[in-house]
Amino acid sequence: MHGSLDNLCARLEQVLGAGSVRRDPLSLKEHSVDGQAPSLICVPADAEQLGAALRIASEMEVAVIPWGGGTSMRLGNPPRAFDLALALERLNRVVEHDDVSLTATVQAGTKIAALQETLGRARQFLALDPPHPAHATVGGLVAANQSGPRRMAYGGVRDQVIGMKMILADGTPIKAGGKVVKNVAGYDLCKLFVGALGTLGIITEVTFKMAPIPESAATVLAQGSVGECLGFVSELLRSRLLPAEVAILNADAFEATGMATDTAAVAIWTEGFTEGVERHLRDIGRMAQGVGMAPEILRDRPHQHLWEKIRDFGAGENLFVYRLTVPLAAVARVLMTAERKDFLAAPLAALAFAGTGTIRLVTKPDAAPAAIFPKLLSLANEHGGHAVMEAGPPALKGAFDVWGPSPSTLSIMRELKRRFDPRGMLNPGRFLGNL
Amino acid sequence: MAPVRQPDAGASSAFVQLTETRRFAYAQGRFKFFASGLFSFSARFVKPMSRQDLIDELKEIVGDRYVLSAKEDVIVYEQDASILQAMPEIVALPADVQQVSAVVKAARRSGVPIVPRGSGTGLAGGAVPAEGGIVLSLARLDRILKIDLANRVAVVEPGVINLDITKAVAAQGFFYAPDPSSQAACSIGGNVANNSGGPHTLAYGVTTNHVLGVEVVLSDGEIVWLGAMVPDAPGYDLCGAFVGSEGTLGIVTKVAVRLMAQREAVSTLLAVFDDMDGATRTVVDITAAGIIPAALELMDQLSIEAVERGAPVGYPRDAAAVLLVEIEGVTEHTQRAMNLASALCARNGAREVKKAKDDHERELLWKGRKGAFGALGTITPNYYVQDGVVPRSQLPRIMRTVADIGKRYGLRIANVFHAGDGNLHPNILFDLRHPGELERVIEAGAAILRACVDAGGSITGEHGIGLEKKAYIGLLFNDQDLEAMARLRQSFDPERRLNPAKIFPSPAGCGELRVGPARMPAGLWI
Ligand SMILES: Cc1cc2nc3c(=O)[nH]c(=O)nc-3n(C[C@H](O)[C@H](O)[C@H](O)COP(=O)(O)OP(=O)(O)OC[C@H]3O[C@@H](n4cnc5c(N)ncnc54)[C@H](O)[C@@H]3O)c2cc1C
Repeated sequence: MHGSLDNLCARLEQVLGAGSVRRDPLSLKEHSVDGQAPSLICVPADAEQLGAALRIASEMEVAVIPWGGGTSMRLGNPPRAFDLALALERLNRVVEHDDVSLTATVQAGTKIAALQETLGRARQFLALDPPHPAHATVGGLVAANQSGPRRMAYGGVRDQVIGMKMILADGTPIKAGGKVVKNVAGYDLCKLFVGALGTLGIITEVTFKMAPIPESAATVLAQGSVGECLGFVSELLRSRLLPAEVAILNADAFEATGMATDTAAVAIWTEGFTEGVERHLRDIGRMAQGVGMAPEILRDRPHQHLWEKIRDFGAGENLFVYRLTVPLAAVARVLMTAERKDFLAAPLAALAFAGTGTIRLVTKPDAAPAAIFPKLLSLANEHGGHAVMEAGPPALKGAFDVWGPSPSTLSIMRELKRRFDPRGMLNPGRFLGNL
Repeated sequence: MAPVRQPDAGASSAFVQLTETRRFAYAQGRFKFFASGLFSFSARFVKPMSRQDLIDELKEIVGDRYVLSAKEDVIVYEQDASILQAMPEIVALPADVQQVSAVVKAARRSGVPIVPRGSGTGLAGGAVPAEGGIVLSLARLDRILKIDLANRVAVVEPGVINLDITKAVAAQGFFYAPDPSSQAACSIGGNVANNSGGPHTLAYGVTTNHVLGVEVVLSDGEIVWLGAMVPDAPGYDLCGAFVGSEGTLGIVTKVAVRLMAQREAVSTLLAVFDDMDGATRTVVDITAAGIIPAALELMDQLSIEAVERGAPVGYPRDAAAVLLVEIEGVTEHTQRAMNLASALCARNGAREVKKAKDDHERELLWKGRKGAFGALGTITPNYYVQDGVVPRSQLPRIMRTVADIGKRYGLRIANVFHAGDGNLHPNILFDLRHPGELERVIEAGAAILRACVDAGGSITGEHGIGLEKKAYIGLLFNDQDLEAMARLRQSFDPERRLNPAKIFPSPAGCGELRVGPARMPAGLWI
């Protein structure tokens, strides 16, 4: 940073008004990223103020980390520097809900739970389900690419975002996409910002596709060994049924939901018209029995409860969370490998979304990543997938890239970063290749 | 414009059309409209000496037969399915990715632009070499490399025809979802470049939702993979940014696409309306009711008239609109959704609702829809295909506006479109022989685009910006937005070597762009 903190503080307050800056020790500590607290928190009132703050920050070469709800701050490498947290909490309006068109435009600081409540009044919802929806924000969800369960039915973040407003590092406001579900005018810059972890610019507004709240929803839960679960799922995925999500939990993961111990389980979410849901429950139940499992049906609260646990899987403090993404047919092999006692020599909770190939593995803080991550990387690699360390205790991060080895396209990514954020001031160091 | 051809027209008529096109091109010369600055180009003609050197070098790379430079050979590549024409200097047809890379390197050394080309069915002039240089055809890279049903992925070369992917996996119960109406002819590389949609993308999403990764040759000849065989590859979503970049960021040489399992049940209905408002309100009501049909397609009276003259399917000629609703899923779902949809049709005044009882009847219901585009030739010598989008809630209003615009400009407009997405295709009918009519057509088209933008929509839902719409992109994006897009462009192709003069509004140049009737491959619909 060029210049003094007091100077930065004064300039921000001059342009954004008194009260737009916080620097009390408690707030600063609460805004830590991987153990690093910022020197200052700035809370702009709107996108214009946010732009003004960024302009000042870029003039002074301040290291900035945008702050949504703070629920995904464990993602990424430890920041190289962190002067200013730009909090989006005041950008919290639903700008427009066009329920007839099934689209909504929402400011980035809006909490997911609050958004869902607004949408729910028109019997619609955003089909993305990040952990801790009461705190997680729209901007954070998009920047961290947190899809959550039901991606099988609705697609991921990139499939549901149709437009965006963002502010580049130098304070320039831009927009991409639009408000319509089909649009090929110009480059699709939205894709670039989804999952970029706020390293190219700060998202201030997002337009999403909405989904109608289904008439009915329920879960088939079947317990058994991981092998049995896998056999069942592979039969299910060969059928013409259309579940909304298929989750496989090994014994440790299932135990973490508070439902049982010592057994793995499959949870299958089905939703839609009542008759369609009943048909799924019937057929899926029969299928489970066919492989010797005893299925139960969860509705209402138990259904919701289970999926909340699954959604929040690995969200505890101080755990190591690894995400492997592999081709669908490799999910079974990865899970079986992870089950082998000699594989990691550490207890491992495993949750797989079998319809999308996303597997999350969680180990306790005493399991050193230096031994584990390389094994997971090569396991994913073997099957044509990839692995990311999504969270870990700060003290143990930093020795390696949590995003795994850089791809051959790193030079293009570097070039992009250089052109969007030439001074490298947004989330410095946190992204792949320490971009 | 105006493929005055029947779907089964043979080779001889293709020849007739070609010569006609040529005559038009010469007669029209540089059309005034383009000189007015709406479209602009600057040809970078290769110096005579180096041109021959380049041709020789290219022949070394791809073989003598696959480099075309004589006017009578390259003229076939001067146009896509739009009305825009510009003569390529050289056409190269490499056979594999190494050759593509070598051609790109050679072009770079010679300082000439490269315009990738798939099947040439693009409707926005994307494959037209507006600044001259090399047209690089990907038609010979046409192999399906891998079909992996267990992982629901296929890896194909860019020249593979869209429909051939589905054909290759249909017997095993799978399909490739994005189905542009041109799918019998368009290439998957062109689909990736244009992020193409189709009638069934309402439920399943467009190309970008089905492409996991692409191998591309960059502007310096380097070969890289963007994306992967699985989603969420760490780093920026370069594959996502690439899809829809219209050949300006790289040349696609392989595509990993998702395959989907066929649905258990398909039900289709056709509803006949006495006024367009009733039809568009039904569309709005169906989506608002939470039913996401696989397809929701609309045709207006003029299109019905064309179908009934060209290849009759028994639509009532006095109807104002027919709406096609198709719902897929498990049987219980489709039955319930169908009942709801037909009740909504009735509530909005549908005169008649026909439900298909079997595959045969379903095909009959679709036949008119699929034949409409080809049949336009029976009611007009020429037509101009527009492509705009509005939020679904605005459909009733925009259709009234489109009708008003037709009246205001004294032009007939036939609408055949993907209503469920709010994606309009107003086909403006005209006769190129009437002086001044094309200018009016272009103005009416622009008025429609402006109306779409005013309604909160976009100037293109699936055909792309290309050359055709680069003058209008400013209706949607300001200089800062476009400059941000340019940063992406520069990160991939700093010298603007790949498909220059596309997408972005650029200053007028001296290139020779002409207009002429579009050359539509036979048997396509829209
Ligand atoms: C009758 C008709 C109906 C149509 N219906 C639809 C529809 O329903 N939905 C829809 O979306 N479109 C539709 N289209 C438009 C067109 O078919 C699509 O845009 C299609 O994707 C173009 O594919 P192509 O292979 O013909 O590409 P081309 O026309 O050859 O090229 C299109 C663009 O892609 C670029 N390109 C081609 N190949 C590559 C490559 N390998 N690498 C990089 N860039 C490349 C070109 O430079 C150009 O910019 C229709 C067209 C017609 C004529």
